[in-house]
Amino acid sequence: MDHLDYVLKILPFILSGLKLTAKIYVATLIFALPLGLLAAIGKVTGPKIIKSILFLYTWIWRGTPLLFQLFFMYYALPVIGIRFSPFVAATVAYVLNYGAYLTEIFRGGIESIEKGQYEAAKALGMTYPQTMRRIIIPQTVRRVLPPICSEAVNLVKDTALLAVVGMPDLLRIATQIFTRDFNIIPFIVAFVLYLIISSVLVKLFGKLEKMHSIYE
Amino acid sequence: MTMIRMSNIHKYFGSLHVLKGVSLEVNKGEIVSVIGPSGSGKSTLLRCMNQLEKIDGGILEIEGLVVEAAGNVGVKVSASQQQVRDTYRKMGMVFQSFNLFPHMTALENVIEAPITVNKMAKTDAVKIAERQLAKVGLLDKKDTYPSKLSGGQKQRVAIARALAMDPDIMLFDEPTSALDPELVGEVLGVIKKLAEEHMTMLIVTHEMGFAREISDRIIFMDNGEILEDASPKEFFEKPRHPRIKTFLEKML
Ligand SMILES: Nc1ncnc2c1ncn2[C@@H]1O[C@H](COP(=O)(O)OP(=O)(O)OP(=O)(O)O)[C@@H](O)[C@H]1O
Ligand SMILES: [Mg+2]
Repeated sequence: MDHLDYVLKILPFILSGLKLTAKIYVATLIFALPLGLLAAIGKVTGPKIIKSILFLYTWIWRGTPLLFQLFFMYYALPVIGIRFSPFVAATVAYVLNYGAYLTEIFRGGIESIEKGQYEAAKALGMTYPQTMRRIIIPQTVRRVLPPICSEAVNLVKDTALLAVVGMPDLLRIATQIFTRDFNIIPFIVAFVLYLIISSVLVKLFGKLEKMHSIYE
Repeated sequence: MTMIRMSNIHKYFGSLHVLKGVSLEVNKGEIVSVIGPSGSGKSTLLRCMNQLEKIDGGILEIEGLVVEAAGNVGVKVSASQQQVRDTYRKMGMVFQSFNLFPHMTALENVIEAPITVNKMAKTDAVKIAERQLAKVGLLDKKDTYPSKLSGGQKQRVAIARALAMDPDIMLFDEPTSALDPELVGEVLGVIKKLAEEHMTMLIVTHEMGFAREISDRIIFMDNGEILEDASPKEFFEKPRHPRIKTFLEKML
């Protein structure tokens, strides 16, 4: 029974870690999804200069480790006088990284829409922006839902990198309690929480995908 | 009244000369069928009319307005951009592959352009859409997604969608070529109904019997040129050109 007591005792700390993890998670999705969609539209339809900038963006951010990007935000930028709060620094790093991946997913989705859809819209008198907004983007979003959901599940696991830069997230709090008490239970609690969260998300996204596939 | 006038239209795809100086007039209420071998430029001709393709030479007039002029033709486009857009709306197009919007129900497909393009109130658009769906015999399928419709039904929704914009001219590019034989009739039936209402129509088709029955004129295209422009009677009974003779023999 003292195991359960111990779990109840450490749970408030662990949950405070979970809260930070959840905050970063939600903030990342809220900003990275629109960023990815807009950047994808820019990449497909924008003028050359925009396309080049976006190419550099996705190339650099997908071509370097997320952990490097976190380190860069945390340690390198302050040296040249750019300082954010730890939370903002972490969020920006995650948003830019996931935004880059989402850009490529959305771009692939947009480019997979058949030419006939554009032609039908044009023949009905729709302008290009109307066509994108009403015809192409809604189909794209439905089509890329599966890869986006799998990115969203990956993000749960990637949040653990916060621990490496010293943010008191779920993993770091668990580690702290472990070093303090030299007891494996905090790790087990964190393990169970990660697994529950990702499983719930997988289930939820599965439902979402089903809902939006009625037309296929 | 001349609805469409094409004068000496040229079209290239790279170095491929696909339309070689095509001239053609379609009058109000006329039904013109376009036939000819594969690759002769029939689709391109239609696509140039509603500006899915840009012409490389010649003059395109729709309802008396020069909407496109290319090359050294001594004529300038007399239509404003807005007028050019309006002419699109006055031309309905039906594609071989339907091109319905798969994320929308049949009804949503039909109300989309009236609402988005014509800024019509949704209730009015729905009224129009239901009338058009009833006309093509699919009112009971209005809440069905395209994926759940047969090819013939899809094509009829596509026709209703074009009709909802109240077009003056309907262009059909092989509307039945992608259909199973038993579904061809229902689509041709809808087109016949439009013919009875004196809709101006240009129809690319391989259905010879249908073309003969419905058309005021038959145009025969070969290798980017119009070889013949005649009444169905003349065309089928005494084709003047040997190429047409061989083509018809192969088709029948
Ligand atoms: N977008 C394009 N790019 C390059 N070549 C094209 C393009 N569209 C058509 N062509 C070529 O132009 C020629 C005429 O094509 P078009 O589709 O107008 O013929 P068609 O008479 O409609 O033939 P079909 O009966 O097979 O539909 C063909 O040789 C075709 O390969
Ligand atoms: Mg064709």
